[in-house]
Amino acid sequence: MPDERAIETHDLSKKYGDRLAVDRLNLTVASKQVHGFLGPNGAGKSTTIKMMVGLLRPTSGSLSILGQGVRGDNPKVRRKLGYMPELPRFPKHLSGEELLDVYGRMYGMSKTERKGRIPELIKMVGLEGRGKDRIGKYSKGMQQRIGIAQALISDPELVILDEPSIGLDPVGMVEVRNMVKDIVKSGTTVFFSSHLLAEVQQVCDHVTVIHLGVMRYSGTLDGISSNVFARRRIVIELEKPVDSVLASLKTLKFATAEANMNTYTLHLDTREDVRAEISRAVTGAGGVIVRMQEEGGGLEDAFLSLVGKEGMA
Amino acid sequence: MAQKNRAGTLAAFLAVLYYEFLWNIRKKKIIAIFIIIFAIATVQLAFAPIADAVANPPQTLQANPTFTFDGIAALTGIFLFLVGVATTMNTVSGEFESGTIVPLLTKPVSKTLVFAGKVVAAVTTLLAAYAFLVAYITVGGTLIYGPQDNLNVVPLGILGLTIGSMVWASIALTLGTLSKNSVLAALGSFGFYIGITIAGALIGSFLGASTILFYAPGMGASGTTGACAGLERGGGQTFSTGTDGLASMLMRWVLNPGQVLNFCGFQFRASGAPTTTLLSSDTFANVAFRDLWVSLVYVAGLLLLSWFAFRRSQIAES
Repeated sequence: MPDERAIETHDLSKKYGDRLAVDRLNLTVASKQVHGFLGPNGAGKSTTIKMMVGLLRPTSGSLSILGQGVRGDNPKVRRKLGYMPELPRFPKHLSGEELLDVYGRMYGMSKTERKGRIPELIKMVGLEGRGKDRIGKYSKGMQQRIGIAQALISDPELVILDEPSIGLDPVGMVEVRNMVKDIVKSGTTVFFSSHLLAEVQQVCDHVTVIHLGVMRYSGTLDGISSNVFARRRIVIELEKPVDSVLASLKTLKFATAEANMNTYTLHLDTREDVRAEISRAVTGAGGVIVRMQEEGGGLEDAFLSLVGKEGMA
Repeated sequence: MAQKNRAGTLAAFLAVLYYEFLWNIRKKKIIAIFIIIFAIATVQLAFAPIADAVANPPQTLQANPTFTFDGIAALTGIFLFLVGVATTMNTVSGEFESGTIVPLLTKPVSKTLVFAGKVVAAVTTLLAAYAFLVAYITVGGTLIYGPQDNLNVVPLGILGLTIGSMVWASIALTLGTLSKNSVLAALGSFGFYIGITIAGALIGSFLGASTILFYAPGMGASGTTGACAGLERGGGQTFSTGTDGLASMLMRWVLNPGQVLNFCGFQFRASGAPTTTLLSSDTFANVAFRDLWVSLVYVAGLLLLSWFAFRRSQIAES
């Protein structure tokens, strides 16, 4: 029976000198899943991925890929996975087709297999007509595309994509997302790292959020907003500013209040509907409400509450 | 199953070799170095005919049956150093610098196999380059200077040039692997070359053909077929016997295995000029054999160190 877990880590840690880049990460990625690995820049995503693909040795903890333990230099594990590094760099003296050919040879693919697979991938990533050009002449977007193609050359069981759309223009980002969706259709497990919530939202069904090397959440995407308490705000606009209104709002136990001219913002610490109580507090203090609006509480706020606002800088 | 694994390992190794050859063939530095080498060989071939033609009165070109042999024996020192270093200075460090090491090491090929592929590709590149160069000198020499003697030992000359160059290539490779920087690898190798050359010259000046020079890379100790007694060295021929002189020594090993080389030293006195004395004597066969294993020990030791550093390397930045 095949292992249902594509990736599993137990207390995986990585230290660079005194700095803990990944702190006791316990991650499980099920097979045939598109799993987003989300976190701000410097969260520890690339370090974790590099341990998965054998570029870095864990300081402590264990890691298994497709049921096989990853310890040291293990080419057997890498045979089943495709990896696209963040901002991939390939030998500039090779053409796109030569690159795929030489990497295909490293996977032990026969000439016939390579002959069939390479044009297929070149077409899939939209490099038709440019396959014979040297990579040194490729634009950044084209290098990302050939990066995706080389990750798929051996038709792997698991594909790990590290920030595949970083540095791309909006059109390129959409194209990369569509490519990932195509990969998923073939039943391949995809582990997809990104610092962009919107990107992960559009591609992944499961997500792990990491910040400062610590896992903050792992589960379904929808589960973030229901499991993570995200602060909501209520913004009230009065006809004119009234000093006693701010004092009255500050007495409310479920919120903290701040004022800016005739606009008052309440940061709520509750999930309850408290609009009536707020309305009474305002009118009781002599204020006339002209607008009341609830903000936040969505996925983005949930993510922000996980990583903190500084994480989005 | 084991057979399938072996087949997979061989295919992966051949793939790394193919990858390396594509890189070497298209590396601008290597192409430039080889163009310079062939230009030098062309000048060497054409020098005598041109000199004879422009002489007043014009001279008739003399036949030279040892042109090829002498030409190979003359390829030493900075020449072997430059070719060796150009071949390997960015073999490993270039991959780290350009970031291409990341996709390479995430393919199902062990680091040991990647390293072995790089070394075999470097040796093959050197061997092919020297084979072409020697073939060029041989054909050119035959056409210009007439039939050449001792062509049967020419393959040993090619082997000697390759191993002699590999000593320098291994130093550059090791420095490149440790520093992950091609410029440091090249400059470090050059510094080592200059240092060892100066040290060798100083030792040679004060101590003569001391034993220590037998085991140092580079030009090594000078030996003479003549006598050591007196300042005039008895009219014999002088030969460099270090790792740089391996090609010459291997060829002479076959031609004159029993010929004795004398290694002379200096004896300084309180007054008067120093006198030369015999430090040791050995046959061409023994000297060539010693040069061969000293070269191979350097190559093996340095490659082992480089392989260990490569295996231990981690890629934190990409």
